[in-house]
Amino acid sequence: MRLIDRLLRKNMSVARIAGFVLSNVIGLWIVAGGVQFYEDARTLWSADDSFIKTDYLVVNKRVTSANLWQDSDSDFTTAEIADIEKQPWVRSVGEFLSTDYKVQASVEQGGRGMSTMLFFESIPDEFVDVKGSGWQFREGDREVPIIISKDYLTLYNFGFATSAGLPQMSENIMSGIPLTLTLTSDDGMRQQRMTGRVVGFSNRLNTILVPDTFMRWSNRVLGDSRKSTRPSRLIIDVSSPGDVAIKDYLESHDLEVAGDKSGSSASYLLKVVSGIVVGVGSVITLLSFFILMLSMSLLMEKNRDKLHSLLMLGFPLRDVGRPYERIVVVSSLISCMIAIGGIFLLRASYVAPLEGLGADCGDWWSGVLTAVALTVVIMIFNVIAVRRKVRSSWR
Amino acid sequence: MMTRLDTIELEGMLPRVFVSESIPASDVWRGKVVFRRGDRYLVEAASGGGKSSMCAYIYGLRDDYEGELRFNGKDVRGFGISEWQSLRREHIAYLPQELSLFPELTALQNIELKSTLTGGVRRERIEEWLHELGIDSRRNYPVGCMSIGQQQRVGIIRAICQPFDFILLDEPVSHLDEENNRKAAEIIMAEAQRQGAGIISTSVGNPLLLAEPERLKL
Repeated sequence: MRLIDRLLRKNMSVARIAGFVLSNVIGLWIVAGGVQFYEDARTLWSADDSFIKTDYLVVNKRVTSANLWQDSDSDFTTAEIADIEKQPWVRSVGEFLSTDYKVQASVEQGGRGMSTMLFFESIPDEFVDVKGSGWQFREGDREVPIIISKDYLTLYNFGFATSAGLPQMSENIMSGIPLTLTLTSDDGMRQQRMTGRVVGFSNRLNTILVPDTFMRWSNRVLGDSRKSTRPSRLIIDVSSPGDVAIKDYLESHDLEVAGDKSGSSASYLLKVVSGIVVGVGSVITLLSFFILMLSMSLLMEKNRDKLHSLLMLGFPLRDVGRPYERIVVVSSLISCMIAIGGIFLLRASYVAPLEGLGADCGDWWSGVLTAVALTVVIMIFNVIAVRRKVRSSWR
Repeated sequence: MMTRLDTIELEGMLPRVFVSESIPASDVWRGKVVFRRGDRYLVEAASGGGKSSMCAYIYGLRDDYEGELRFNGKDVRGFGISEWQSLRREHIAYLPQELSLFPELTALQNIELKSTLTGGVRRERIEEWLHELGIDSRRNYPVGCMSIGQQQRVGIIRAICQPFDFILLDEPVSHLDEENNRKAAEIIMAEAQRQGAGIISTSVGNPLLLAEPERLKL
């Protein structure tokens, strides 16, 4: 060992450095492990439905015997929508628009034809999350993209097809079949023929969805402009899906949430729990940072005379600081590596059960990157502290 | 960065603690002194006269003075840390009164710590000096176990094993007998002459036996 290292490391307490390494390992492991678990477990919900985020709620008025035959009572008035928009947990509200004309869909398959009455709904594009350019309609297009509820396919396959002796269909086959759509105005005077193509299946939207632009264009061309177009369903972007205030509000206004809302509260719970875990880990990491800073400070204070004498001999500041910087860097890197090893162990213990639940645990780097980033921050701040201390010993 | 330090000028200089006091007549304080490279100076003072302060000012360890201190005509107040550090490695050698040796290192290690930093002197040369000053048998003893007189000799060797234009010695031989004093003075003068350097030595009564020094009263 060089003489200068030997001089400056005198009084170094291995126990204190080990204390830093231990607490830093625990802190980093909890923070980075929490981040990694959140990233892995998140896919349980987000993989479920890529067309609509878990933070969206679809609400409608409860159908009761009182509003059974009166259409308008289940619609939302402008005042009711404005009231919902005012709620603190609401980011934005979108209205479902429905067709104001009749829709007839038919499929021609190997000489056998099948035809059914249908309906369409649309929501503002900002609420639909379709990758690529599949979700577009421009005036003049003859093809309409459609997202249908996965439940409808299930109903057809296991309810209807088996009893009617029709072939069952997979999602891929269904997407490949062009639907012939005949759109007729209520008075029967105007008609449009289009082709429909299924671009996706949703678990959370109980409807047949078309692009907003198509809906507005077709209602203008085929609809009755004198009829009011009040929405009967709303889609709400909420800031905190698990909030009890949402439940209370919906109950007191007799509103129902469509689709599976347990997913959104569970993902909210995951967020809260992960937040707490990462928070606790951050506090421990911060404390370990201070342990290292105080041990270095104490060590340098004990060796202050030596620091001063070396600087008096003409040693450059960086030479005098280097033994301490090396302690900081080496101990931080050691704890970072142990913590990363710990993350892999943790991950090995939960990946199998999580994947059994349907999660897609692909990436392992978010936890590792978190640990490395925190370590770099701890090193930089401690090296700065060491240099300041050396500088202050100069005179 | 300067290539040679030719003059050290003190003008109207006074430690701040003396400002409100009346001090005895002095060649240095409140006066004008120019130390020139190649010359020998003996600064004599009573205890408490401020000679250690003067050395500390010239070596950049303190700056609590009034007046001006100039190196090659340039005020040192504008010097930064790295400038001072390179002055200490290449232009000014210094032996403080308290020596500032590392007690846990041996005599040889203390000297080598400095000579490795400055790349100044060969190992054989160091061995010669240790022999001439009569401490070669102690070269591998921790300095903390040596007498003050022996430590002073180690300090003297450490001070001269670097390139310098001036050497500042603060009471370097206070614990040496006349014989060792003379040997130390010979070694210092020889090395200073070899490097063309000036010698500034202070004393409170047992001066380093320099040949024909210019005497200054502090």
